[in-house]
Amino acid sequence: MTAIAPDRARIRFCALGALYLLLAAPPVRSWLEATMSGHMLVQIPLLAAIGFAACRLLVAHHQERLLAIAGGPIPLVVVALFASSWWMLPRALDDALAHPLVEVAKFVSLPALVGVPLALAWRRLGIIGRGFVWTNFISMLAVLGWLYLAAPQRLCNSYLVDQQESAGWLMVKLALLLFAAWLGHLFVGGPPVGNPRAVHGP
Amino acid sequence: MATYTYEHTPDHGAKAGVLAYLATSAAVLLLMMVFGLLMRLEQAQWISIGADRFYELMTLHGAGMVGIAAIAGASVMWHFLRQYVDLSSRIFIANLVLFLAGVVMILGSVLIGHFHGAWTFLFPLPGKSMGMWSPGAAALFMGGLLVIGVGFLLLHLDIARAIVARYGNFARALGWPQLFGHDDGKAPPPTVVASAMVTIVNVIGLVVGASILTMMLVNLYVPGFDIDPLLAKGMIYFFGHIFINATIYMAVIAVYEILPRYTQRPWKSNKVFLASWTASTLMVMFIFPHHLLMDFAFPKWMLVMGHVIGYLNTVPILVVTGYGALMIVYRSGIRWDMASKLLFLSLFGWAAGAMPAFIDGTITVNYVMHNTLWVPGHFHTYLLLGMVTMVFGFMYYLGKPDHEADDRLLDRIAFWLFTSSVLGFTLSFLYSGKESVARRYAAHLPEWVPYDRIGAVFAMLVIASSLLFIVRFFSRIGLARHDYQRAPVARAATA
Amino acid sequence: MTSVAHSVAVTALVTVLGSGAFWWGTDGFTAFTAETARRADVLRAPRPLPAAVLEDQDGRVFGIDDYRGRLLAVEFIYTRCTTICNSLGMAFRQIRDRVPADALGRDVALLSISFDPERDDPASLKAYGIAHGADGEHWRLARVRDAAQLRALLEAFGVVVIADRFGGFEHNAAIHLVGRDGRLVEISDLDVPLQFAAKLEEAL
Repeated sequence: MTAIAPDRARIRFCALGALYLLLAAPPVRSWLEATMSGHMLVQIPLLAAIGFAACRLLVAHHQERLLAIAGGPIPLVVVALFASSWWMLPRALDDALAHPLVEVAKFVSLPALVGVPLALAWRRLGIIGRGFVWTNFISMLAVLGWLYLAAPQRLCNSYLVDQQESAGWLMVKLALLLFAAWLGHLFVGGPPVGNPRAVHGP
Repeated sequence: MATYTYEHTPDHGAKAGVLAYLATSAAVLLLMMVFGLLMRLEQAQWISIGADRFYELMTLHGAGMVGIAAIAGASVMWHFLRQYVDLSSRIFIANLVLFLAGVVMILGSVLIGHFHGAWTFLFPLPGKSMGMWSPGAAALFMGGLLVIGVGFLLLHLDIARAIVARYGNFARALGWPQLFGHDDGKAPPPTVVASAMVTIVNVIGLVVGASILTMMLVNLYVPGFDIDPLLAKGMIYFFGHIFINATIYMAVIAVYEILPRYTQRPWKSNKVFLASWTASTLMVMFIFPHHLLMDFAFPKWMLVMGHVIGYLNTVPILVVTGYGALMIVYRSGIRWDMASKLLFLSLFGWAAGAMPAFIDGTITVNYVMHNTLWVPGHFHTYLLLGMVTMVFGFMYYLGKPDHEADDRLLDRIAFWLFTSSVLGFTLSFLYSGKESVARRYAAHLPEWVPYDRIGAVFAMLVIASSLLFIVRFFSRIGLARHDYQRAPVARAATA
Repeated sequence: MTSVAHSVAVTALVTVLGSGAFWWGTDGFTAFTAETARRADVLRAPRPLPAAVLEDQDGRVFGIDDYRGRLLAVEFIYTRCTTICNSLGMAFRQIRDRVPADALGRDVALLSISFDPERDDPASLKAYGIAHGADGEHWRLARVRDAAQLRALLEAFGVVVIADRFGGFEHNAAIHLVGRDGRLVEISDLDVPLQFAAKLEEAL
């Protein structure tokens, strides 16, 4: 990653902060939280993305230091995995709506425990590691979507059952779309390395 | 028009991992053949094991054979693809370890848990056993399949990574610039084209298979989470059909790599070749509904699609490969030995095996034929005389003591014994199918027993000849590791 | 400490902490939804209920406290409901029919509480009761007129009511058991009324 000029970084940081405050503003908050899809598929991912982007604005050697303290990329991915799974529990969504304290925890933990650790780990993850994060994410999305669709009853007391269904469908479609995009990206780009017919010994 | 010239590449010995794959395949193959023989003997009424035990054997036979077909095919692909791209040995081994773990789970499920719902785990069967087996046994079976699937997914992701690293992307690995543009003769070699195709279809198939397995596991323990039965059946066939088809597309790499070494002629990745592989990449994913033609509940468009594509997909790769093999061998002065003979035979087996499928793919025929032994007749021909024969050819190639070595008389006899007994065995299935003998155990009429007896005798001969092939492979396994010239020089090349 | 050992140690620590958090947050991997959590919580610690003034189908005013010393089955409904409340009504009827005749009224009572006091006046409550076979004595239908009291009552029971797009409501439907001491002791599914009735009989 190339270093970003300090003043550019400050501007971006302010932009992220503004986006964060915007998400936290009561009208926007209640607008996004009014539907399950808005809550799960817009607000929560955006909060994590803000943490991710903010972390990448840190000076490189600070990021390295944090990475070293955490013990490399693997513990960080595990933290992100736990924290993101938590906010996929129907119960956590209900609690966030019912208790302001839980809502605050959501606004803090998604950037700090999902976005930031992933951004730190991303620098060090190889193709296989990044592939693991992506495939894990896509399959979790698809399975969760199906669970929401197939659930015999309402999972969230705060949301109507048809919202649960539309959120489930959105998750399944998003997973399919991401998978198709991944397959598609295998077919484009990348210059060929050397003469493709040439043989190199084992 | 591009020109192709033969570039000699040395015959590399197999890595330990490849030999481990082949040894696993050979051992499981023999065991599963014995299970198959027991099923024939039961229907021939020479032994009496009962319906439950019969279905247990059938479940093991099906799951085991599909598993080792994939393992053996992967070993062929990995061995030759390694000449062109940088593959990870660790992931290759990890796949075998996961495979063996899955096999243990499946064996436990069937032998201890008495699961006997067939490898196709057709929904809602595994979960709703009517008390014949426990949910735990069904979960163990599906879990075993899931573990095996995860291993193969890892392997294919590594192959995708290696192909992208070398060729930039899959469009180039499939030779699309040469297919859709000017053929400059620089299309990737057949091995890479085939591996790219298999990787694409298997990744998609495995993801679908893993999804339905996960859904069924959830449904097993929380029945409230309903699964749409048609969706489940479609997904299972999608996965199963792609996975078993892919085994022969992996194994045929042995033909593309070994026959040119025997004739010193190149296997051309020309436009026709590339077009056939690209066409099959798409078609193999949409062919599965031809197994559902009798299933009136399926949407009509799916059945029509299965019918049409079932017809179309029989042709491209098979014809192109068969024609290519004939062209490469024609007046080449090839020296026939066990490896080259088996590989050539395998192409005949593949073609012969595809024909019954072609006939069965016709809806009016399908109505009366699909649930008969006609269909096992079809897939035993193309898997045993096609896919497995390719692998036997590969084993003989790896173990050939030196390029001038002659085959032993015993091997030559075994070759003809194998050829004739496999033909006899599969014809007994096909003829039974023509006589409307039901595919499964229930209601087996006395007048069908003679066919089963003929089939059982041929099955014993198949096992005897396969045993000799496999013993020969194990006795030469030390040679298989070394790099030295194996392919004899064809007479036309020396003249 | 080497970097690998460091990494393994932190991963292990994080995994233990994360699993612990999930264990704690899902009541030992049992309650993934707020509804199951509510039921588990009540079972563990019976909840006291706030005082509320109720008005029944005949306009009589009373409180839940008046039922102290008796077992009380409570359901939450609104009378225009055409879906889940019907199942609730059916379940209530099955429970009532299972309770021994001598215990009914003396030791066991049933109460359907409407969360739509605006529209559910005594007349519509009465009509609803007749439609579901309530006698108006041992199985009464009531509304809470005071909005604040209603909110507190719903909160204590853990019932969440949200308006749907058709002018009705969606609500987590269940059968609630209030013990002799006036505390909410158990919440059970509406599709197993016979089990609920059996439990009542046991408690007699």
